[in-house]
Amino acid sequence: MDKKTLKHIAKLSRITLTDEELEKFTPQMETILDSAMLLQTVNTDSVNPMKRHVSFLELREDTPKDSLSQEDVLKNAKYKEKGFVKVYGKIFGSLEES
Amino acid sequence: MENTKYDVIIGLEIHIQSNTQSKMFCTCPTHYFEKEPNTHVCPVCLGLPGALPIPNKRAIELCILLGIATNCDIEKEIHFDRKHYFYPDLPKGYQISQYKRPICSDGHIDIKDKDGKKYEIGIERIHQEEDVAKSTHHTEGNTEYSLIDYNKSGVPLIEIVSKPNIRSAYQAKEYASKIRQIVRYLNISDADMEKGQMRCEPNISIQEKGKWQLVDGKIFPIGDYILNPKSEVKNIGSISAVEKAIEFEVERMISEIEDGKTLIQQTRGWDANKGKTIFQRSKETADDYRYMPEPDIPIIEIGSEDIERISGELVELPDEKKDRYQKTYSLSDYDCDVLTANLSISNYFEELLAILSKDMDTVKAAKSASNWITGTLFSIANDKKIDINQDNIPKESLAYLILEFEKKILTKNKAEAILRESLEQKKDLKELIQKATQESTQNTKNLDSIIDDVINNNSKAVTDFKSGKQSTIGFLVGQVMQKSNGSADPNKARLLLIEKLNG
Repeated sequence: MDKKTLKHIAKLSRITLTDEELEKFTPQMETILDSAMLLQTVNTDSVNPMKRHVSFLELREDTPKDSLSQEDVLKNAKYKEKGFVKVYGKIFGSLEES
Repeated sequence: MENTKYDVIIGLEIHIQSNTQSKMFCTCPTHYFEKEPNTHVCPVCLGLPGALPIPNKRAIELCILLGIATNCDIEKEIHFDRKHYFYPDLPKGYQISQYKRPICSDGHIDIKDKDGKKYEIGIERIHQEEDVAKSTHHTEGNTEYSLIDYNKSGVPLIEIVSKPNIRSAYQAKEYASKIRQIVRYLNISDADMEKGQMRCEPNISIQEKGKWQLVDGKIFPIGDYILNPKSEVKNIGSISAVEKAIEFEVERMISEIEDGKTLIQQTRGWDANKGKTIFQRSKETADDYRYMPEPDIPIIEIGSEDIERISGELVELPDEKKDRYQKTYSLSDYDCDVLTANLSISNYFEELLAILSKDMDTVKAAKSASNWITGTLFSIANDKKIDINQDNIPKESLAYLILEFEKKILTKNKAEAILRESLEQKKDLKELIQKATQESTQNTKNLDSIIDDVINNNSKAVTDFKSGKQSTIGFLVGQVMQKSNGSADPNKARLLLIEKLNG
């Protein structure tokens, strides 16, 4: 982990870091990564992947159920307007979806 | 758009909203169009912590069905992945999608190129994912803000990625239109582009002829040629805009290169009103989505029995139907295209044909049914903005009309007038035909006796005609017209006269 990588990750997360913060967080992130890296040292040669398998027919049937009320949906929204969640700031255009 | 110096290379990404009843990973209802915002939302599609996704069986079936219909290989296991990006329309901070192992891969469909020849477009992959929320952007004074409606968040979305072997704007338009036709035939989606149920995003580049090659579905330079960067166009709202946007982009790129400018990889938006693409952002680096396997969804096994069951939903697709119409009914290429354009028209045609075939030779009945549907019916339906279906035009009545026309009881003009009257004034077609047929029969009877009178009272003209003076017939027809006060059909009168005089 170097400052350049951290800056890149911060940018992807839309977080702005000052130079001092970069200075401070880079070694901290390095420690976190090193700890996680410990997992890589475990020998798993004889262990099968443990992700569960399901058969196709076990999947959920396509039956709709009631959703939350609009009031409940908006309960945690800091800003709202006419039933919409309101987000301040410029987000780059309406064309980013999927 | 043919250019002697450059080849045009296009890949098309198409997103299709599946028409399931519930969302991809939760049970919220999908039909959000014109609904109150944020009323089709639950903890899963709102991305609340701890909420777990549960895949929708039907959605995956529809994705597999599309793969089968487009000649793809189908995976034996379904793996979902997380695609991360940070944006208000994506409440979880990632979209559940598929990365390394799409459900369907390596397929192809045929289109008809501009010269009428078949052209095969490769399909790189078809995968299942979920839609994002809808955001609209506003400004108030100096404040910019967006309003978010999560009803669309989590609606099943199928992404179809073509291989970059589309070589013209025309081919791209035909390909998009064929995909739309197939998903509609299979009832996978209504694919209404205006409602956002289908979205097309072309990737376009131009390369000097002979300096690039297509290897394993990817473009590589030959020798020390450096490939030109591509641009991606978004916000295309109709099939015809696919063609227009690409044509614009190709011309823009060629003129920039010819002016000595350097192209950059970029995303552009199509502005339908101005008829041009507008720069949105440059893409200097590859997107960094930090894909990872979705830990909350198990691996889903697809057995051959599943594939078999889903294949049972395949219907005769437009190309097969067209072939059959051409072979069985000897219909023209154009007629076949029109009749197979959508399933409701081809079903209407086939049901009408079944009725007519009881009284007519099948090939002749097919030609006749096709002529009436693609000609008169289409023209009235377009004028009046009505759908051609059983409610508006009962097939039994239309068949009755066609048979009366074929039996020459009704003239083409009369039959068309009846059809128009029925549709425009919402009158019962069958009753109108019965009335017209009675009138016509009565007229024929009247005509018969008038002709007898004319023959009896014009012995000189009759003798002249029988002795070979053909032109006398004109005089006799004139007499008939006069006696019927102009109501008789002169052609019919002529034929009947000749028949009687020769008989």
